[in-house]
Amino acid sequence: MTSKLKIFTFLALILTLVVAGCSPQANDASNDEEGETDELVVYSARKEQFVKPLVDKFEEESGVKVKLMAADEALVNKILEEKNNPQADIFFSNDTGALEYLRIEDALAPNDSDKIQVIDEKYRADDGSWVGLSARSRIFMYNKDLTSEKDLPQTLWDLTDSKYKGKFAITRGGNGSMVAHVAALRAEWGDEKTKEWIEKVKENAAIITEGHGDIRQAVGAGEVEFGLVNNYYFHQQLDEPKDNNVDAVYPDQGKDDMGIFVNAAGVGLIKGGPNQANAKKFIDFLTEDEQQKIFSFESKEIPLVEGIETTSEAKPLSEYKVMDMPLKEIGPVWLDAKKLIEEAGLDLEVK
Amino acid sequence: MTEPTLNAEQTNQWNKPPQGQARKPFLLRAMSRFWQSLWHGKPPNLLILLLSMLTALIMVIPILYVVVQGWGAGTERWIQLWDSRIPGLLWNTLSLTAVVTAGTILIGVTFAFLVVRTDLPGRKWWRLIGALPLVIPPYVGAMAYIIIFGPTGWVRDWFGSSPVQIYSFWGVVMVMTMFTYPYVYLITAASLGRLNANLEEAALSCGQRYRQVFLKVVLPLLRPAVGAGAILVSLYVLSDFGAISIMRYTTFTAAIYYQMGSFDRVSAAMLSVVLIAVTLIFLWMEWRTRKNIRYSQQGGTYRRPLTIPLGRWKPLALAFVFLVSLTGVFLPLAVLIYWSLLGLQNGAIDASFWEYTVNSLVVSGIAALLSVILAMPLVYLKARNPSLLTSLLEKVVYSSYALPGVIVSLGIVFVFNQYLPMFYGTIALLVTAYIMRFLPQATQAGEAAISLVSPRLDEAAQSLGHSPWKSMLKITLPMVLPGVLAGAALVFVSSMKELPATLLLRPAGYDTLAVRIWIQASEGFYHLAAPAALLVILVSILPLRWILNKY
Repeated sequence: MTSKLKIFTFLALILTLVVAGCSPQANDASNDEEGETDELVVYSARKEQFVKPLVDKFEEESGVKVKLMAADEALVNKILEEKNNPQADIFFSNDTGALEYLRIEDALAPNDSDKIQVIDEKYRADDGSWVGLSARSRIFMYNKDLTSEKDLPQTLWDLTDSKYKGKFAITRGGNGSMVAHVAALRAEWGDEKTKEWIEKVKENAAIITEGHGDIRQAVGAGEVEFGLVNNYYFHQQLDEPKDNNVDAVYPDQGKDDMGIFVNAAGVGLIKGGPNQANAKKFIDFLTEDEQQKIFSFESKEIPLVEGIETTSEAKPLSEYKVMDMPLKEIGPVWLDAKKLIEEAGLDLEVK
Repeated sequence: MTEPTLNAEQTNQWNKPPQGQARKPFLLRAMSRFWQSLWHGKPPNLLILLLSMLTALIMVIPILYVVVQGWGAGTERWIQLWDSRIPGLLWNTLSLTAVVTAGTILIGVTFAFLVVRTDLPGRKWWRLIGALPLVIPPYVGAMAYIIIFGPTGWVRDWFGSSPVQIYSFWGVVMVMTMFTYPYVYLITAASLGRLNANLEEAALSCGQRYRQVFLKVVLPLLRPAVGAGAILVSLYVLSDFGAISIMRYTTFTAAIYYQMGSFDRVSAAMLSVVLIAVTLIFLWMEWRTRKNIRYSQQGGTYRRPLTIPLGRWKPLALAFVFLVSLTGVFLPLAVLIYWSLLGLQNGAIDASFWEYTVNSLVVSGIAALLSVILAMPLVYLKARNPSLLTSLLEKVVYSSYALPGVIVSLGIVFVFNQYLPMFYGTIALLVTAYIMRFLPQATQAGEAAISLVSPRLDEAAQSLGHSPWKSMLKITLPMVLPGVLAGAALVFVSSMKELPATLLLRPAGYDTLAVRIWIQASEGFYHLAAPAALLVILVSILPLRWILNKY
């Protein structure tokens, strides 16, 4: 009988060791003085499939073990909550608004690396704490079997027209690209009009999804006639073995129209993260030409480093009218945009 | 209360030197009298009591934290939330709960009646098959149905269009019903098996037709059992996140999960307060139904219930059980096996797959082991020292079991971030969440086991000079251990399947099988999700026998 007791105490002991062994403190002990570590923690609001190839390549080239947490915009809050006890080194974001917001909230650290100078300063923070890596335009992709260009809305405001009711898909208002887009619209239209737009669009949408992947599938499969997506989702659907009879409309191209909202995905350097040196290495790595090519050929985005080739179907930025709003300006109003979306009730809606 | 003075010295259980009664100051005497009366003259060992209280405290603090955060949000925000968000969510949540519960009662009771009371061919097998959907986590079931009926699914590929709109209220109802009806089925089947045939025969001998007897005699007797099963189902629907999110539906639980990504956690906490209130109402209802469960075992003759010949209904009955098994077990499994084979060909089983498996096993294993250690004092206390305090502790422990995982995680994040930052970002958060959510499975199993161990044994050991602590360890524990270990197996399986808390609390780079299934399924990478789902199902089958015996 007493042997049972012994086994129990032994098990309890093992448990404490396991739990203790898993805590980050245990790793810190093995670091040497210069803050050199062999790990890197990446939080990604971007989907795993877009980030994983880059992370794997970095692991291979640098020998650093990368711990990846791929989730969604909820990570912005997680980072803020962890400010006193930072867990991550890098935040991979779908839009620069969230990055600038984090910078304003003092959750990012400045980065003086020369390598990030290759990115146009329009697309990075003044102190280098975040860097844009790839651009995406917000377009309508449509199913050619169901509709044609002339029957589609030509501007974003047209989505409020009741004749499109039940014909299109948008993402939930919590989606990062959507928040940034609303922030840009708000800068253009002001609070009242933007709120009206959200409410009517919410009413008119046939499907409201968690992310854009669902939209491209829904448009491809003919569940809806068209959907509002980032341009690379349209390019991806073209590559699908089935349901690929799709095309795209670039809205707001008229003489007096506002132009397309172009956003960038990028990375931020988290303040006080456990592996700062590796984080800087990783950011430098991402701005290299080779990785920029991965953006344009694997995830079909628009690279932000000059002179990188792109796939044939991706329109270069110079070929269409773009909204003239510096992305940095979205940061300060990012929260307001989220609040506006919540007031209009689009943030939780999924249908 | 009468105090057995004889035991004055024996009850002094924490080895203080006994003092003369007369010398005790009045206050102390009053205290000790109160203490004695609280425990009906059988106060527990202090260490066991403290351990139990500590466990209950661990379980309740995160929840309290959420409630405090939610209440403290200020009237203005509450009004705003009531005006905008809450009515719609309440309607979404309660309508789904009501329809699913009704559906599970219909399917569960019919199924139970057919396999227990009729001459259905092969009913031994059907009896087992009826319980099998229990091992398929609803989010896996949802994935399987989307593969079949979804807008880009099989049915569309074969027939050009899908007859069912899977991403709809009724789609969610179908999935939730098919994978939760076993709760009703199992409890009802057990209760049906215990009914006394005399009652039915008496009614039949009065010239009633069986249909009427069933409605007037059998159903009322089954009501408590059906009620207990239905409550389990409703609590489940209230707390499910995985299936509901994959099927693009929003209930309170899903809304809380999404709110955790909104601009602060306060609205999540506020929604949690409402959901906690709803859950408590359901729990109270359950407690009411449980109070009324009386097995009609009046003295005299108990005989096995009679078997009803189905006659011309046989084909219809067979069709029913076949259809239920097809939608609840065979179709989903076929889908998963098909996609797993595709996955195997495309290298879905790679090093990272095993890494996720190991992660799942390690976290669930730690949670299961700890649950044994934490459950023992609670079980012992409840069995040997019943009192108001004991039942309060029991209710506290049970309540976090009933609450959705998202609320539990919200509380855990609050608490760890504030007071235990050194453990934040480790698997300690996951283990805490699993224990909060599943400890009652271990305690209930332990209670069943300890009820068979006579308290005379401990008393005998104590009269021979063992301390209660020692007699618990040497006498009771070894006899109860098999039961508690069965409970630990349940905790293990539940932890393997757990999704919302795991999603919210996992450390970076620490994905489990459940998390991978959800991520891959939401992205449409079914060949990657299916092998993991099959593995989870396989592990869940292990304690199934024990569950079947329990009811």
